Amino acid sequence: MTGSPSHPERPVDLPFARAGLASFLEPLVRDKRVVVCCGAGGVGKTTTSAALGLAGAMLGRNVLVLTIDPARRLAEAMGIPESARAPSPIPPDRLAAAGVTGQGTLHAWMLNPTVVFEGMVRRLAHDEDRVRLILANRLYQHVSELVAGMQEYTAAEALYTLAEDRRYDLIVLDTPPSRNALEFLEAPRKLAGFLDERVVGMFLPSRGALRAAASSLISTVFTRIFGAGFHEELQEFLGAFSGMFGGMRAHAEAVRTLLTSSEATFLLVTSPEPSALAEARFFHAKIDELGVPFGGYILNRSWAQTRGLKNPDLVQVVGTSGPVASGWSKLSALADDERRRAGRDRSLLADLRGRGTDAIATPHLGGAVEDLSGLVALAGALVGPLEQESRTNPAT
Amino acid sequence: MCCDRVVSPLLERIAGLRAVMVTGKGGVGKTTVTATLARLLAASGKRVLCGEIAADQETSSPLMAALTGEGTSAIEPVEVLPGIATVVLQPTRGHHAFLRDSLKIHVLANAAMRSQVIRRFLLAAPTFPELGILYRVLELERERLPGGRHVWDTILLDLPATGHALALAQIPASILRIIPGGPIVEAVREGLRVLRDPAQAGAVIVTLPETLPVSEALELAAGLVKHEIPLAGFVLNRVPVDPFDPGEREAVRAHAATVGPLLGMRSLDRIERARGPRAAVARHLRAMDHPRGGVGGRAGVARPPDGDPRR
Repeated sequence: MTGSPSHPERPVDLPFARAGLASFLEPLVRDKRVVVCCGAGGVGKTTTSAALGLAGAMLGRNVLVLTIDPARRLAEAMGIPESARAPSPIPPDRLAAAGVTGQGTLHAWMLNPTVVFEGMVRRLAHDEDRVRLILANRLYQHVSELVAGMQEYTAAEALYTLAEDRRYDLIVLDTPPSRNALEFLEAPRKLAGFLDERVVGMFLPSRGALRAAASSLISTVFTRIFGAGFHEELQEFLGAFSGMFGGMRAHAEAVRTLLTSSEATFLLVTSPEPSALAEARFFHAKIDELGVPFGGYILNRSWAQTRGLKNPDLVQVVGTSGPVASGWSKLSALADDERRRAGRDRSLLADLRGRGTDAIATPHLGGAVEDLSGLVALAGALVGPLEQESRTNPAT
Repeated sequence: MCCDRVVSPLLERIAGLRAVMVTGKGGVGKTTVTATLARLLAASGKRVLCGEIAADQETSSPLMAALTGEGTSAIEPVEVLPGIATVVLQPTRGHHAFLRDSLKIHVLANAAMRSQVIRRFLLAAPTFPELGILYRVLELERERLPGGRHVWDTILLDLPATGHALALAQIPASILRIIPGGPIVEAVREGLRVLRDPAQAGAVIVTLPETLPVSEALELAAGLVKHEIPLAGFVLNRVPVDPFDPGEREAVRAHAATVGPLLGMRSLDRIERARGPRAAVARHLRAMDHPRGGVGGRAGVARPPDGDPRR
């Protein structure tokens, strides 16, 4: 790994591509099976995930980017449909046009909770009759849309399924914008907990004095609040589900095992915003607590990188009056401001590295990344020079 | 306090409301806007309650950080600044109030809340967490002083993500889909009456002056209107101040093109990108024939445009 924490000033200002250095992200994108991007909402997780996925493909791997609710233009840029039932490949000609010529492939999928949940029911229910019974249940139709934490649950379930079939060398997971850090890691457990036999048992007709008393309380409460019809429907629904819980818990455990193994890494994406930083630090603590492997920080939307930019003060402007001169002095003021922000963001980066962790600041790419070539530029800036192994002779 | 002049049309509009939902995509500054609106309302003599939504064991409090720089809010309102109280809204608390109201028997409600199964059901099952939050808000809204005056003139809700305002708006429809009968439906309808009354409630959508955030904000506005949640206005946050006149801008651009990449040009680009989105929000407001929102420079946000990580 490059970028020793004791020299924060060095990699900060060096765009890796130009300096010929690889960043700490390079070995992660090259070797890991799962890269999880976490962070507060609005810090650029989706764009970062897409760029890392692209970097993986440029290194020759078969990559899948699993994303939740990406910005529409990003979906368009990557060429992924909004409501696909399975991952879609980024068209090779599109990749080639953006300068990606290697052997790697890139797929992307915008998670679809209904599809993921249905897939799970099909895999776990074993017989067709039961599958039909569950899918036809009126409550199921809404559970798949409305269960709290469903996004987190689907992310974990999809990760489980896609990691199982080994079609991809690398899966980059863009986590749901969840305030509760890493909820998706715990979501399957929570859902499995809710659909626990003991809990469900309380809704079902039962024997035994203690359970009967509890069931009767539940029955009274539910009937009085929701009406008798709903209570019966719920019993029917949960009855149809019982027997699948063991399988759901097994999935939850498998996801956990994968994510706590050395095959996975968690990256924290943040912006210099105090609230985003506070959340990132909270995530970091949580990552340590859960014992999942931490890869490092990616500081987005910062002003840290200023290499190659000239100060307008130092540029000779002809004449001392007129719009050029007055405009120039205003630009100098903006430049002073940018320099202050750059200083602030660099010490922030140094601070993130201070605890022996890796951190990198993405360069300013002029507004939002809106197309594949923007993502390629970002991938290069994040990961370093990507020497593409191509067997065919590239046209250029 | 900065910019009350700029924010005043929006402020005027929300000053008479009982409940204001501050919403928008993550990272746009909803919490800071909530805190600023609270300060401005309190400065005009209102008693304001700011509610933040948190999971049951949340330890950090962005709202308190924005208001006082430290501390956490509690499940009961606590005055943290003159005229401003904060409260953390937890679904469980609302569930209890809801069970009490609909079961009409306290002992039964208490027994029900002690039941692990019912608590877990209410937290995991469709829309109930949102219902709990709605119920808690309404409980706070109804609180009165001995003289009959409302305890809180205005309740500001700092909603964590775009989905929440819509989720609150969709409660009756969702509940109806799942539970076609039972007393819950009536209770929910009654509960939403306040949130749907433009004289009593409104949503404030916070967004940034960039193309994508603004188009998402306009979609959110359409979604809210569709679910009959009145829109009080937009706050376009972190609008960069434009120091240039058109002649200067052109001259600087032309000259910069000959000398290469310059410090300061990133800021200039940002200023120029901000113009289109500002116009889009203004157009939207005119097209909606809606009371004007607070669209303007930094729209009432008391901090530098890009935030300062060291506060």
